[in-house]
Formats: sequence, structure tokens, C-alpha cells
Amino acid sequence: MIELTNVTKKFGNKIAVNNFSLHIEKGSLTMFIGPSGCGKTTTLRMINRLTPFDKGNIIVNDTPINDVNPVELRRNIGYVIQEIGLFPHLTVFENVAIVPRLLKWEQKKIERRIEEILELVTLNQSFAQKYPLQLSGGEKQRVGLARALAAEPEILLMDEPFGAIDPINRLKLQDSFLEIQEEIKKTIVFVTHDINEAIKLGDKIAIINEGNLIQYDNVSKILSDPANEFVENLLGQDRNIKALSLKKAKDYVLKDGFITVLDTESRESVEKKMKEKNIKIAFALDENNHLKSRFVLEKATETKKQKFIYNPAPWIIERQNNINEALSKMLEAGEKQLPVVNRKKEFVGIIKLSNIFEEVNKKTNIS
Amino acid sequence: MNILSFYLNNFGRIMSALEVHIFIFLVALTFSTVIGMAISIFVTQEGREKIGRIILSVMGAAQSVPSLVIIALIFIFVGIGVKPAIIALVIYGLVPIVFNATSGILSVRPNIIEAGKGMGLTQNQLLWRVKIPIALPVIMGGIRSSSTIIIGSATVAAVIGGGGLGDFIFIGLKLQKPEMLITGAITVSLLAIIVDYIMAKIEKKVVSKGLQIKKT
Ligand SMILES: Nc1ncnc2c1ncn2[C@@H]1O[C@H](COP(=O)(O)OP(=O)(O)O)[C@@H](O)[C@H]1O
Ligand SMILES: [Mg+2]
Repeated sequence: MIELTNVTKKFGNKIAVNNFSLHIEKGSLTMFIGPSGCGKTTTLRMINRLTPFDKGNIIVNDTPINDVNPVELRRNIGYVIQEIGLFPHLTVFENVAIVPRLLKWEQKKIERRIEEILELVTLNQSFAQKYPLQLSGGEKQRVGLARALAAEPEILLMDEPFGAIDPINRLKLQDSFLEIQEEIKKTIVFVTHDINEAIKLGDKIAIINEGNLIQYDNVSKILSDPANEFVENLLGQDRNIKALSLKKAKDYVLKDGFITVLDTESRESVEKKMKEKNIKIAFALDENNHLKSRFVLEKATETKKQKFIYNPAPWIIERQNNINEALSKMLEAGEKQLPVVNRKKEFVGIIKLSNIFEEVNKKTNIS
Repeated sequence: MNILSFYLNNFGRIMSALEVHIFIFLVALTFSTVIGMAISIFVTQEGREKIGRIILSVMGAAQSVPSLVIIALIFIFVGIGVKPAIIALVIYGLVPIVFNATSGILSVRPNIIEAGKGMGLTQNQLLWRVKIPIALPVIMGGIRSSSTIIIGSATVAAVIGGGGLGDFIFIGLKLQKPEMLITGAITVSLLAIIVDYIMAKIEKKVVSKGLQIKKT
């Protein structure tokens, strides 16, 4: 839990943060958004005492932060910045082990923890011995997140962590970040200047302008009830479509209407099974539940015989994709249904176009 | 032929001059490194970056002062003998070490320092575990140039009684015995090359592998 009460920060004559009061609940993901220079970074850095504040009070876990040694405080708060700042002279393992070592954990416990945390951020264990210069941008960002989470802090501060990543990889990182948060339930403050990112990731959004907190609310509330013109402009014209993006693929995953088979099974036997059960779609998985291929049994028509199609690399939807993303993938693939996987690429079910349309209908009826 | 026979006939003398030369070099380099690092660490602490920048320009300028000037000044103020010679070499050897270490530490990227602070490293931990290891390739480069400079300048320091291989060169000059002069010059050059080679090996060893990777 983080509580800011009437916090003010000036740099010389410039008021960077003006009389801010904000209550951030335990286990929630709060997004700070606003134009460049509005005071997002300053507010974040005040929470871990990298920037001292002039007036007001900040309480973290029931203790005013000014009563805590700043070094101690920071070891218990994860911190991720856009440039990541991995230490180039240390391996991934050593980078992630920094805070656990500062906290004097036993070596065995550190090793176990790092194995676990690399798994969490979906990095192969072989990354442990690599150096930062050998990593791609997205991999570095995952290591940065792993490093911030290594000592199991309750609170995570993230300052535009995906800001420097290309759009395609940014979407992927967002998806896996959401899956991770679903698992770890940390109290997270996440700074962004991308409204779509704020809507996609946040439980709550704090909208900031020129050092003032303009609106702080649940995402759906902000979309349906913007406080003023500034918020409306920030949200853009397509507020209703953005509201759609609050719904995630995971809310529409179906567990039936298909069968799964092992990818070692012969096509003939798959075809036979499908006909017996009168099922049109089968997914072949390997022993790790990773999706390998797809089989489709097409209906016979007057002119055509029934056809059995093998599809070695089907389109996939991630659990954390929002409906907009799922919809556009389906349109692009020209499919009425697509398989859904989680962050570990394990198959979890399918999603159908007809279900999404029902949702769209509901929405447009409301507004 | 002359040189070879001079070498063989005076082998003992050459070896003891070499020993003195190496001794002076090691003592001077040790002091230069310790004092140089202390100065660099002091001027690069947070809040003193301005002093750091000033020191950098001073050292940049000092690098172009000839060693003979320093040696002459020390001669005037301290006198003659091995000690004044070593003092002069320590001062002269400081310049590349302070220059490189200061610029190396100051050029550690701010986001790395920010991340370190954000994780709760103390100023000391930040210095010894982050800034110095990252600046180490540059620091080692400074220590290497300092080695070469001290070995070379120690030859000149012979004029104020430093001893070592410089004696051969100056006496060879005075007595117009080129074989003596050349022997001294060749031995000093070989020493400088070998020391630089050893330094390169040490550098490769102490600098993190992560900093030696070439970006592909
Ligand atoms: N260290 C500093 N010294 C002086 N002014 C600063 C400093 N840090 C931030 N500011 C000013 O405070 C304001 C808020 O900055 P910041 O919190 O970084 O904005 P944001 O992260 O929202 O882009 C800006 O006007 C910026 O110029
Ligand atoms: Mg910022």
C-alpha cells in the first residue's frame, strides 16, 4: 500500500508536483499518464526517496518513508526504468542476484530464486550466463523486470519500461507482463505516456497534467466518465472502441468444440478420431502443451467432397490480447476461430468470432 | 658486433642497471596508481563532478608537458638522487592514470547509476561494484600508458642520479661510445615492450568478459 498526502515538489521556482494526494491499494496496478514533463517520474522517484519532496507525506506499508533509511527502503521496492540500466560487467545471473546478495541471502536460495524468476519472465535458463551486451531489447527488459522482482519486493515502480521497445515487441511484453502480474499480484505503479498501454494494463489510472492530479479512477470509470476536456482529449475520439479493449481474450476462451492430439499421432488416426466424434477442429500439441499444428475437417458441399486440412503453423491469440487484438488477428487470418495460448505458449483453448461479435453488439447497444 | 661484445663483456653491469630500472619503475607505478586512483575517486564522487571536469582538462594539458621539465623542477626543489627521481616519476606517471580513471568513472552511463541507486546500493557499493569495474578497461589503459611513460622517463631521470639504464645512455653520450648508448637504448625499449605485453595480459584478465564482448 502506498499513500501520498498533499505531496508537493519544487525544482527552484518550478512546481513539478502540486499538492498530490493518492491512495494506491495493495496488489493493484496503477498507471500514471500525462504529457511529458507533467511530473510522473518525479512522483515515482519520491516514493523510493530518489527525489526528496518538499511538503506532505508519503507512507509505504504503514510507515512514513522519511522514517526509513533510503537504502533499506529501496531494497524493498523494485525499480525498473526505461533504459533498464543493466550492469554490463555482470552476467544476467549476477545482475538479477544484486538485491538478494545485498540482503545477504544464502547462495542456494539465490540460485533457486533466479531459476524461478527467469522462468517467470519466460527467459530460458541458458540466459543466466549471458552478458547484457548479448541480449536483445526485449530480453534486456525481461531481465530488468526479473532483477526488480528478484528479492520479492511487495512494491514495484516502473518508469516507461516498454517505451523504447518497438510496437510489436511492446505488445508482446505487455501481454506477458499482465500474465506475470496475474501470478504475483504486486502493488505496481507504472508510468506511461501511451494511453492504450494505460488502458490495457491498468486497474486504475492516474491522469496528471502540469503537476496536478486530474483524475484517478478505475479504467472503465475513466473511459465512461472523463472528468474534463483534458481527459477526453487524452482518451481520444474512439473511447468506445477503447472500452472494448478492456475485455481480454482470456474472458472468451472456450474449452470445447475441438479436440487435442499429440503431435506424434498420424494424420490418418487424427482424421478418424475427428470423424468419430464429429468434431471439425483438432490441435496437435507436444509433451509441453505447446501448439504445433492444426487439423480442420471441412464440411462437404454439393460440389465438393469433405476435405481434411493440415495446417503446420496456425495463427494464435495470447490470453492477454484484448478483443481488438483478437479480432484483428482473426480478420487477418480469415478464420472464424483461433487457438489461444498463455505466456508460456501453452495451449489453453479457442476463441470464436461469434462470441466477440456478441460483445461488440452489447457495447454498441449501451452507448 | 661491437654491441654484442659490449653486451657480453658488461653483462653484469647491464643486469644490475636493469634491476635498478625495474625497481624504480615498480615503486613509481605503485605510488602513481594508488595516489592517482585516490584522486580520481575523490573528484568523481557525486556532487563533485565539476571538480572532476576541471581535473580532466588540467590532466589533458599536463600530458603535453615534457618529462624533463618535471625532472628539472624536482631537481630544483628536492635535489639529487634516487628519491627525487622516483618522486618526479610518480608525479609524471600520475597524469595518464588520473586522466583515464576520472574520465572512465565519469562516463559510466547515468541510467546504470540510477538503476544501482534504485536497487539500494550505497555510494561505496556503487563505486567499487559498479563504477570502477565498468571503467576498468579505461583505467587499465591509463595504467598501461603510465608504465610506458615511467620506464621511458626513468631513463631521463638518470640525469638527477636516478641510476638505471639511463646511465648507459648518458655516459655513452659523454664518452662518445655508441655501443654503450645503443645497448642502454635497446634494453630500455625491450623492457618497455615486455612490460606493456604483461600489462595487456593483466588487463584482459581483470576486465569483465561482459565488457570485452564485441557487439554484433
Ligand atoms: N532534477 C531536476 N532538476 C530540475 N528540474 C527537474 C528535475 N527533474 C525534473 N524536473 C522538472 O520537473 C518537471 C517534471 O519532470 P518529470 O517528473 O521528469 O516529468 P515526466 O516524467 O512526467 O515527463 C519537468 O518540468 C522537469 O523539467
Ligand atoms: Mg519521465
